[in-house]
Amino acid sequence: MNPIGRRTLLKKEIHRFLRVPGQTLAQPVVTTSLYFLVFGFALGGSVREIDGVSYIRFIVPGLIMLAIIQNAFLNTSSSMFMMKVQGTVVDLLVAPLGTADLLIAFITAAVCRGLLVGSIVWLVAAVFTGFSIAHLGWVLVFATLVGITFGLFGLALAIWSDKFEQLNLIPTFVITPLTFLGGVFYSVSMLPKPWSTLTLANPILYMVEGLRYGLLGTAGSPPLVGLIVTGGFAIAAFALTWWMLATGYKLRS
Amino acid sequence: MPAAVETEELTKRYPKVEALRGVSLRIEQGEIFALLGPNGAGKTTWISIVCGLTRASSGHARVLEHDVARAPLDARRQLGLVPQEINFDPFFTPREVLRFQLGYYGLPPDEARIDEVLFALTLADKADVNARELSGGMKRRLLIAKALVHRPRVVFLDEPTAGVDVTLRRELWAYVRTLRAGGTTIVLTTHYLEEAEELADRVAVIDHGRLISLDRPSALLASHGRRQVLFTLGAPIDRALPEKLAALGVTVDASGTQLTCPLRASDLSTVLAEVAALPAPIVDMRTEQPSLEQVFLTLTGGRA
Repeated sequence: MNPIGRRTLLKKEIHRFLRVPGQTLAQPVVTTSLYFLVFGFALGGSVREIDGVSYIRFIVPGLIMLAIIQNAFLNTSSSMFMMKVQGTVVDLLVAPLGTADLLIAFITAAVCRGLLVGSIVWLVAAVFTGFSIAHLGWVLVFATLVGITFGLFGLALAIWSDKFEQLNLIPTFVITPLTFLGGVFYSVSMLPKPWSTLTLANPILYMVEGLRYGLLGTAGSPPLVGLIVTGGFAIAAFALTWWMLATGYKLRS
Repeated sequence: MPAAVETEELTKRYPKVEALRGVSLRIEQGEIFALLGPNGAGKTTWISIVCGLTRASSGHARVLEHDVARAPLDARRQLGLVPQEINFDPFFTPREVLRFQLGYYGLPPDEARIDEVLFALTLADKADVNARELSGGMKRRLLIAKALVHRPRVVFLDEPTAGVDVTLRRELWAYVRTLRAGGTTIVLTTHYLEEAEELADRVAVIDHGRLISLDRPSALLASHGRRQVLFTLGAPIDRALPEKLAALGVTVDASGTQLTCPLRASDLSTVLAEVAALPAPIVDMRTEQPSLEQVFLTLTGGRA
């Protein structure tokens, strides 16, 4: 283990996304605020309440989760992929940084960005819906665990990808559809069969519902189920990424 | 004293090519060691294995007694690598990049050391500009700064002066000598044979993944190099060379105007007399001293 090396890489990764705040912080805030305005205010009028919660409050946890997922994922995937393209990944591969050092640094930075953008989205939403949080502990657990999971997936995808096209494959065809169909804008109970049953196979649903429980105190599925699903994905992503870094998959020939 | 770098029967097989075929080398501490070979000979593969970027198919590699496969972090702590391809991070300045580099090697921030390296590589006035704004030569110097800032005991320079102008090349050579004077071991690959001749204590020639020669430049020149004299004639020779000239090893090129004669001191007067006796006038004559280039071309069968 190399604590100074790990801290240095973490610092560098955080500097990297703070250096372009318009792209890494402001852009997701604008996007999620637009979702909030369009779905919450413009279209929310026709859906007054879901599970006893006003629609505008109902979509806030989903929007925050969307921001955490996208930002944690993008932080590791873009950083690692750019390092591969630019050749600077050699600096890390030749340095005395172990697998644990690399993972801890990359994932902590991804979680920081996810939580930072998630918090900003929450602050923007709270101006309209109020600043109350039902269970802060659950909020932190879900936000952090989802940040870790998607940070890990982002890293794994960037290590695997040889082209930009491959890098965009998973976010475009897997993560975005699953997120939009994962109960961000609606409750599963609103869907007809078989869609409501099919939606139960979407892991992101449990992450969104977990955060919803933390923020609003009510959700379509119990937080423990969400914790088990999210924890399972985090472990799978961790095992995959650890294996990639430890064996040098696509990094060391 | 343990070797700075030691490899034993190092091999690397890719699905379609065998890049290294059992290369055993021992590089002593404080040496400037040059690896020569045509493109694709296996030089970069060898360096990549020693630096941990590539895994060997078989054999061992050690850096100051640390096995690169069994104790990779201990081995990597000892070395610095200047890769062949220029790379830079457009987000950061040279000073920031060097700070990170120190940190990666587990060292605390050391602005004095960073300033020293920036100054030595004439990057001091560019220390705080974005790496994007550096010229090609500056980016290459930044690569060298990155490889040196943590004071590695062994430095690998993979084609360090490719595309670098003559002045900068000379400056880098001077800096390499300064490093060696401070006890650093330098391993370099180069296409500039002049570079190896000028700098290296020992030269290894690799071809087709095999070590084909290893010696001091002077010994290589003595064993494989040759002095020769080249004549340009005013008109082509339209018949076979006289027997005496053929016996001296003189050859004539396709145009019939260029004669090449391997030279031993005692032959010179005989050669001159015989060539002067030819019907065509001599319009030019020059002698060629033995060079590493000649040695290299002889050993690799003319592939450069």
